[in-house]
Amino acid sequence: MTDATDSDNIEDNTAQAMRLAAPELLDLVHESIILTDADGAILFWNAASEEMYGWPRKSVLGRTVDALFGTQQYPADRQDAWQGEIWRDGADGEKRLIEVRCRSDRAPDGRMRFIETGRDVTSVREAEALLQKSEHRYRNLFQAMAASFWELDFFPVGEMLYRLRKTGAVNDYESYFAANPQFVREMMRATRVIDINEQTVRLFGRGERKELLGSVEPFWPQDSTGVFAASVIAAITGKPNYSAETRLRRIDGKEFDALFTACFPPDTMNKGTLLIGVIDMSEQVAARAAVAEMQNNLAHAARISMLGEFAASIAHEVNQPLAAIHANAAAGLRWLSRNEPNLPEAQVSMERVVEDANRASEIIGRIRTMAAGGTIKPTVLSLNAVIEETALFLRDELRKNEIQLFLDLSEYAPKIVADRVQVQQVFVNLSMNAIQALVGSDTTEPKLELLTRVAGDDSVLVTVRDNGPGFRPDDLPRLFDSFFTTRKEGMGLGLAITRSIVDGLGGTISTENRAEGGAEFRIHLPVFANG
Amino acid sequence: MPPGLNALNNKLIAIIDDDRSFRMALDGLLRSFGHATQTFTSAEAFLESGEADKPDCVVSDIQMPGLNGIDLKHRLDELGNTVPVIFVTAQTEKSTLAKARESGARCILRKPLEIDTLLECLKGALNA
Repeated sequence: MTDATDSDNIEDNTAQAMRLAAPELLDLVHESIILTDADGAILFWNAASEEMYGWPRKSVLGRTVDALFGTQQYPADRQDAWQGEIWRDGADGEKRLIEVRCRSDRAPDGRMRFIETGRDVTSVREAEALLQKSEHRYRNLFQAMAASFWELDFFPVGEMLYRLRKTGAVNDYESYFAANPQFVREMMRATRVIDINEQTVRLFGRGERKELLGSVEPFWPQDSTGVFAASVIAAITGKPNYSAETRLRRIDGKEFDALFTACFPPDTMNKGTLLIGVIDMSEQVAARAAVAEMQNNLAHAARISMLGEFAASIAHEVNQPLAAIHANAAAGLRWLSRNEPNLPEAQVSMERVVEDANRASEIIGRIRTMAAGGTIKPTVLSLNAVIEETALFLRDELRKNEIQLFLDLSEYAPKIVADRVQVQQVFVNLSMNAIQALVGSDTTEPKLELLTRVAGDDSVLVTVRDNGPGFRPDDLPRLFDSFFTTRKEGMGLGLAITRSIVDGLGGTISTENRAEGGAEFRIHLPVFANG
Repeated sequence: MPPGLNALNNKLIAIIDDDRSFRMALDGLLRSFGHATQTFTSAEAFLESGEADKPDCVVSDIQMPGLNGIDLKHRLDELGNTVPVIFVTAQTEKSTLAKARESGARCILRKPLEIDTLLECLKGALNA
């Protein structure tokens, strides 16, 4: 232990040592240190000061700081300690913002002196200002955007997932969420709304911002639970964002179609917050539905007008078995009502009645399928059979115009998967096109040919060709355009519809004029894999 | 049995129609009336059969591939064959029907047939 005298000695010694060592020590400090006397004349100027302001120590000793920096540096009424930020020009004339701490001190000789430490905070303040500006801009954007924005506290969900992982029972979140929708709802309840913009209040609320600031659970209809689950999975698997069209619910319970986007930037994820954007898609979805309906109606209208064109043909097809039924029935009656009824003949007549009635109902069935609107039912079809059916529709038209039909159907032609009526429509359209070209021409032996050929492992080729005048070369590139027609009475939809059907089947269609005269359509269709 | 039907018996009637089921039905019907019949799938087949001058009456479709019914009637006229021709058709087009009438056919009957009209017409044709 030391006594009081010893203690005084130690302090003295330390002060002595400090005095001796001070200049060297102070030169090692990163902050600027300036020592002045009571009038502000510089007594000491450390290496960091030289660095910070650009003046060597020798050139400043004895000058006052006010003179050096050109303005009064400290408030006149400063007390023993003062701190603040001061703009100072350096030797290079550049302005720097210095955070200054200053206090008075009494020198060993009893005179007042001041010691100042300084730190250049120019770039720090600039960065802060920039940050503030960008924060401000972000807030402005957040508020002003036409989209609904949400800032959510996701932290409790992170904890739920952490606890879930710790149980070790779950390694596949996707199937766990799918099997446990109530857990997903629980995650929704745990996700709190931190902030929303005005558009969110407009889109989801009733004017009261507060009633939206709870959990996000009320905004998710049951059927959309999977979308929320998928967004959580995207977040925990490190995806930068997630976007999906989904149904969301307003606070008043009304549901609407929305484009939901979640962003997971690493910095906000670490904070446990995330940003959600919601765009109201009701109008787009309605518009899309209207377009789809219009297309459907158009296809139906085209089908019906096609029916009109073939009404005579159909009447003929139905009339034929009807006439046979009638004659057979009359013959049957006659055989029975003879003086000696001829039962074997009567039986033959009756059998024919049944046969013809079957044929008639088959034809009716086919017409019904053709007239059935809208719904497209893909089935496995024999391409050759469909072409033979098409020929049936065309028979009357061909006969009337004295056009010979040649079917050359490959026995190896595979099956395809398609809607029967659509495929019929393709071949009817192309055939009618050919028939109309032949009717308007002076071809001496008008011919329509339909051919099927195997075209590789996964494709079948159907060729529809005629020996008419062919297309004008100028017209070739526009043939498949809607409303392009070379006929006065044509709508110009036939080939456009044909191509859209072929496209829909994953096939291709092309056309060219044949060297020997006439037009040729080539349709490649994908074959049924097990066909 | 209508009166006078027996008088028509045993007449030979040629039936020409490319539609198999109607051809067979008409064949059965005319035989049930007591007639002998012969069936042909086309006008050409009838003309080339070498028996075109045998039947007492021809019942033919109008619309057929190759020679149609009206062509057939003209050909028979050219050959000096005066066998009465009855057309049975599903055709409704006015110009075709007018041509059929102008060709000198005895009757033009619509499919499905009215049996009484057919009998009436046959009677007239066979008694001519």
